[in-house]
Amino acid sequence: MDLSTALQRLANYRTQNSRASQDIFESGVIVFRKDALHKLGDDSWQFLEQLALAAIDVGRLDVAEGCIKHLSDKFPGSARVECLQGVYIEATQSADVALTYYDKLLEADPANAAAWKRRISVLRRTGKIEKAVEELSQFLDTFYTDVEGWLELADIYSSCNQYTSALQSLQHVLLLAPQNPFYVLQAAETAYTAGDIPLAIKTFLVVVDMTDSESDLPAKDAVPTGITVRAWYGVEQSARKLQKTPRLASTSASQTPAPDSLPILEQLAKDMLRAAYSGQKGGAATTAQELARWLGDA
Amino acid sequence: MQSSSAVSLYLDPQIRDWVLFPITLVMVLCFLDALSYNIFLLQSSPKKLPRAAVREQRALVRSQVLRATSANSPIPFIYYKSISQNLTKAFTEGAYLKDGPPKKDAPATPPNPLTDPAAMDGMMAGMKTQMVMMVPQMVIMGWINFFFQGFVLIKLPFPLTLGFKSMLQRGIETPDMDVRWVSSLSWYFLNFFGLNGLYRIILGGDNSADSSRDMTASPFAVTQQQPGGPQDYNKLFKAECDNLEFSEGLHNWIGNDVEMRILRKYGRVPKS
Repeated sequence: MDLSTALQRLANYRTQNSRASQDIFESGVIVFRKDALHKLGDDSWQFLEQLALAAIDVGRLDVAEGCIKHLSDKFPGSARVECLQGVYIEATQSADVALTYYDKLLEADPANAAAWKRRISVLRRTGKIEKAVEELSQFLDTFYTDVEGWLELADIYSSCNQYTSALQSLQHVLLLAPQNPFYVLQAAETAYTAGDIPLAIKTFLVVVDMTDSESDLPAKDAVPTGITVRAWYGVEQSARKLQKTPRLASTSASQTPAPDSLPILEQLAKDMLRAAYSGQKGGAATTAQELARWLGDA
Repeated sequence: MQSSSAVSLYLDPQIRDWVLFPITLVMVLCFLDALSYNIFLLQSSPKKLPRAAVREQRALVRSQVLRATSANSPIPFIYYKSISQNLTKAFTEGAYLKDGPPKKDAPATPPNPLTDPAAMDGMMAGMKTQMVMMVPQMVIMGWINFFFQGFVLIKLPFPLTLGFKSMLQRGIETPDMDVRWVSSLSWYFLNFFGLNGLYRIILGGDNSADSSRDMTASPFAVTQQQPGGPQDYNKLFKAECDNLEFSEGLHNWIGNDVEMRILRKYGRVPKS
């Protein structure tokens, strides 16, 4: 890999905010070997931050320490660098030390969102779930617009089998990021797990509605891909469950009325799922057979 | 008599080259210098707010986020209603105010900025900025007064009424001279206020060293412009309650008729 591709890759990862730590680390090492740090100009500081996080992730703490040293020399007292140092402390020392460090940061600036979030994640990691939820709720009460925080709260609730609370957190996520179908899908699956099947089937259908119009073909001829397939699975399963136990339709916690046309919806979902797997060969063919069996005994 | 005195004046072109242009140039340069000074020294990092203040500032965003999508809401009515009513309750009770809910018998006057230490800090910062901006201007004014006092620099190409005399002929005490002649000190003032348009073109819109803004805004008014100034959040919250109620009436979940939409899209509409 030459220098320009390495730089290109690093810039891509930065904009996409993805956690490809090994790749970032390898590209970063090339930049250093070619001694090209000065070529990055103002981007070099962002690059150092990126490399420090990646290096901590892959366990090269020596590299991370160097990066953080550079950064803290350039920006003494910067909240962002202090937070990065916190991550380094988390990696090298015990959770208690990290917690005390974040406490100190928060004491200096009680509204330091980054440090607060790190602190909550340390709390969760060390098993103090109750404290983490309490802090996270307080955090979200202050910084309502933090989608990441709401998702984390939903995740914590789900991990404790509190699906109703998780669903409530996800509603806030949907309000804040209504354009993201993955969050809608998560809400649908959470609703299904929480036992609110009418809400689940409607939300699955919303996901289908949001994602199926990517190709130019009319919707009924297009082959569903990716997230849409998963949403069709959800529709199929919810419709089946609702028909099997009609009692579920009236016990929706969100008072959502179940759709009237369940058999047609289920038939449509089956057809779309078959279409999704029909054109495939080899290993996927067995998947199609499995699917046929699953759909058949419905 | 007026016209005869106007004709009788003849300005040495040297005045144009050695006084008029230098003054203008010095003012532009001084401004640019002050600008860089301003960026690097005066714009210190924004003041850190305590948590409660941040919460108060951002509370309105919650209801705005909720209201923004209410006509095509991503969430079902029951969740919408509970969030909306919780917000309304919190707003009426003042739960988001940084000093806690207001007391019943408290006077309903807006807070006095002079008693709030945080607002006082903001005011001091504004005054400091203005002082630093003012110092070079005062030096230039002294320079003009000292070297070019009483100079007539330029003749305006249009007639003006006598009322402009004190504005255009500052530093020259003659009752007879035509108002169109501009003195050195007045030229300075005209530049001081008139060049802002030029600066804005050079530097792009919203720059901090706009000296006329500093002049027009008193140090007490400055705090109002800064975020986190003494706004009456209690009043804002109360007003937002009405908006919330209105949006609740508009609420429509996108999932309400989604199955019909899907069936129609896929050509499976049930015959009714």
